[in-house]
Amino acid sequence: MKVRHILLTALLGGTLLGPMVMAKEVQLFNDKGFWTGPLQSVAKAAATNGIALKIAPYANAEQYKTFIQASVAAGRTPELFTWWTGATLGDLVATGQLAPLAGLWKEMEADGRFQPGIKDLFSIKGQPYAVPLQLSRWVVLYDQRVFTKLGLKPPKSWSELQTVAARIKAAGHTPFLATTQDGWRGFIWFQELLLRTDPKAYTGLNNGSVAYDSPAVRNVFRIWSDMYAKGWFSDPRSNEEINDFIRGKGVMYLFGEWAVGLLGKAGFPLKELGVFILPNAPGVQQAAIIVEGAPIVVSRKGAADADTMKALRFWVSNQGADTWGKASGNYIGNDKVPAPNTIISQVNAQLAQGHHTLFLRWWESVPATLQGEMVAEFNRFMLKPDMTTAFNVMKRMQNLNTTYWANRKKT
Amino acid sequence: MDPLMHNNQQLLNRIGLQHIQAAEQARQRQQFLLALPFMAPALLLVGGLLLLPVLYNIWLSVTHWQLFAGKDDFAGWQNYIQLWSNPYFDDALANTAIWVAASVVFPLLLGLALAMLFRQMPGQEWFKSLIFLPRILAPTALGVMWYYVYAPEGMLNQLLGMLSGTAVQIAWLFEDSLITPAIILAFVWQSCGLVMVLLLLGLAALPRDPLEAARLDGAHPWQVFYHITLPLLSPTILMVVILSVLAGFTVFDLLWVMGSSYPQQRTLSLAVFMYFEAFQKNSWSFAAATAMVIGGVVFAVSCLQTMLQARVDRMVR
Amino acid sequence: MKTLSSLEHQLIATAAIPPAFRWSKALCGLVLTVLWLLPFSFVLLAMFKSTEEYAASAPLSLPSGLSPLLDNVRMAWEQGDMAQSMLNSTLYASIGASLSVLLAAMAAYPLARLRFPRRNVWFLLLFAGTVFPFQMYLIPLFFGFQWADLLDTHLGMCLLYTALCIPFPVLVLRNYMQNLSLEIDQAARLDGASELTVFRRIILPNLRGPMSAVFLLQFTWIWNDMLFSSVLGNRPGTRSIMNALLVFQGSYAQSGPNIMLTAAVLASLPTLLLFVLLRRHFMQGLRV
Repeated sequence: MKVRHILLTALLGGTLLGPMVMAKEVQLFNDKGFWTGPLQSVAKAAATNGIALKIAPYANAEQYKTFIQASVAAGRTPELFTWWTGATLGDLVATGQLAPLAGLWKEMEADGRFQPGIKDLFSIKGQPYAVPLQLSRWVVLYDQRVFTKLGLKPPKSWSELQTVAARIKAAGHTPFLATTQDGWRGFIWFQELLLRTDPKAYTGLNNGSVAYDSPAVRNVFRIWSDMYAKGWFSDPRSNEEINDFIRGKGVMYLFGEWAVGLLGKAGFPLKELGVFILPNAPGVQQAAIIVEGAPIVVSRKGAADADTMKALRFWVSNQGADTWGKASGNYIGNDKVPAPNTIISQVNAQLAQGHHTLFLRWWESVPATLQGEMVAEFNRFMLKPDMTTAFNVMKRMQNLNTTYWANRKKT
Repeated sequence: MDPLMHNNQQLLNRIGLQHIQAAEQARQRQQFLLALPFMAPALLLVGGLLLLPVLYNIWLSVTHWQLFAGKDDFAGWQNYIQLWSNPYFDDALANTAIWVAASVVFPLLLGLALAMLFRQMPGQEWFKSLIFLPRILAPTALGVMWYYVYAPEGMLNQLLGMLSGTAVQIAWLFEDSLITPAIILAFVWQSCGLVMVLLLLGLAALPRDPLEAARLDGAHPWQVFYHITLPLLSPTILMVVILSVLAGFTVFDLLWVMGSSYPQQRTLSLAVFMYFEAFQKNSWSFAAATAMVIGGVVFAVSCLQTMLQARVDRMVR
Repeated sequence: MKTLSSLEHQLIATAAIPPAFRWSKALCGLVLTVLWLLPFSFVLLAMFKSTEEYAASAPLSLPSGLSPLLDNVRMAWEQGDMAQSMLNSTLYASIGASLSVLLAAMAAYPLARLRFPRRNVWFLLLFAGTVFPFQMYLIPLFFGFQWADLLDTHLGMCLLYTALCIPFPVLVLRNYMQNLSLEIDQAARLDGASELTVFRRIILPNLRGPMSAVFLLQFTWIWNDMLFSSVLGNRPGTRSIMNALLVFQGSYAQSGPNIMLTAAVLASLPTLLLFVLLRRHFMQGLRV
């Protein structure tokens, strides 16, 4: 018994003293556990420049959001952390705990590293509050081998898209890959179809002016369920989307550019990967593309701290961006640095040609409290993609929507 | 009464009762002061980490906790009223009711059957241990296991396919009507062992003579079971029922892991609903109100138990 | 009243049952146990398959070789970040369980042996901890830990687990101590020993049985905990093993089900081992 007591006290004492031995370093809090490796590479590169950057990942987005929000509510905002753009960035900015980064952006745009349009994605009411962790366009990646075998070319119009899909289906392959893995992917096809058929409704949806059971949304669900009825989608219940693509379960994969890095790591031969932007439906002239900008934000305390700002400057520098791009395959908008992979340079070229308007993802634009429940409804539709479910889903979503906006007016 | 006092009635009358009582009180106070240091560490920990949070939760459920600002305005019953109008809350409530019913009935029936089966049997220690094994393993790990058992290309579908001759591809954990029964099956499989062991302990403690007398009188085993064993077993059965009710209300780990692909995961039970409200939507006061609802029902059930247990104990004796 | 010994009872009981019935019972039990363990067999088979083999074969089909096991274990261990979490869980479970059982014994001692007013109220205060479901603790504890800077610290997690594991042992040990004969400590007290000495030298040695049984139960409970760790200690440095398993399952890692199942088995090995070695103690701890 006595020995046990001594051991216990020793253990307890050890755990108490342990955390006290720490060095001054800049912690980058994030919820991108799957990018820990690449982030560590950047940290290593930063170390050679005299910056002690520590990567502090949470693997669970919900827990991470909770941690940050609770910290902010307690007045202890972390100095450097990743977040999401859009409505939820607005909420965070409204607390007054984030530092505006207009000065840093002036530097970033002055030497042509970053194009003018990008700052807007990271701004609230004209003031930038973040720098890009990654900037991804949402495009259709496809297996070039299947296309070549069937003599197909990437579609440039809506009708061409239908033809391509029909030909792929007739040849015995599944045209599109889409799953409900990890519970958040349900909105991907919804947002894309809505943007392609009715860009105005796309913006209106998230400011309360367009209803979730409006004709525009109904149209989207009709097209979507029609595609499912024709067997154009892969099994949504899979939990291994990346592996599914490699195994050929779907020829075309609508996703963010950051999938390229994941596909490469999982063993897909990247030179066989092609990309095109989903064409607009007939009657829609506006060239558009959905963009995801994951931001890194700085608290007021962090902006006043020299080490934190040094780390941030390193991140957007050519060396930082290049290291990050090479390690993760992610583009952060720094054009002075070679594109991390050919897909991104191809998309850059297409965008330069078409002067596409950048639209933020539905995921960032939707009000934060609605996000979880709404995306669950999209997932529900995907698992049973018929119009009866669609009507039920739309009704539920509109219920949630009206309650949210009604409550908002009160407060 | 202290024997000392009985034998000294005259002493009592001469000294006076107050002195005795004062001495008794002083002794009790001294005992209390002796007891305090022993209880203090435990009381501090339990009070600070378990009891205080409950009070805080009560307060939180009647406030209006803003998302970031952390401001709190008194909201009265508003959170509770909003709870009832939330579409997911109704489903969660219904599912929780199903869970409580299922977690009481199935483990009890199955556990009782197993207990009776394993009572006089060669190798019973082995069987008992194997049936009890799932109970000591983590629900998380077991949830992961059952997740792949129930997968569309998983073990269950393969077995059903072998039995029926055609390929079976049911997505057990994706269908509205199948997911709760599927997880209940995993839960019963896990918790049956404990119920069985508790019932076995209870059966072993039964007095033998009534049973022997009935058997010698020529009673049929079923009659013996129904009229004698069961009533004598009722305190144990009551305890098992109460434990099962609590378990049914608070099941979480299994639902969290096995329901992770199900879009309406938040409707699987009140416990999961509360977690989503708190940590996904950060509606703290709303979630606190849900927690109060759960806690209130559980507390009421526990109080019921204490009363019923005392009554049943007296009846059996 | 003369009562029959348990052996005599068994003899009477078995004599009353015809042998055929007994062996059919055994057969029943065997079939039942095989069915019961079927999910485990599936896991065992999956552990020996590589990711491609798993994807290509039926779940209950036999693996083609034994070699993928080491690969699976290695990948599960590395990708699931199990080393740190195993260490964490061992720390939490050993400290939490032993400290809580010790504190519970200390608290149960006066509740069982000393007489002071409103004893039952004090007991209920301690036992009330088990009455409330965990939902009532989560949010307040989250805010409290944040305020006290205990979030994601080993100290915070240890304190939490100790507190959570005190109520049940208090019940068990109090009941046990109430049944110990009163003479043993009366004698010591008359000799002038302090309460502490009485507790340490006389009561505690008698509690070895129930204390180790309850220690085992609480150790297993802490080891198996996923929820409190994921809310109050979610950083990789303080994650418990079940939390790490959950994170592993929910991560974007490109692992197959075979690796996930291997990870689940690895995470459960310590409790499995404890159960195999100390089976009797587990069952004993349930005698409330």
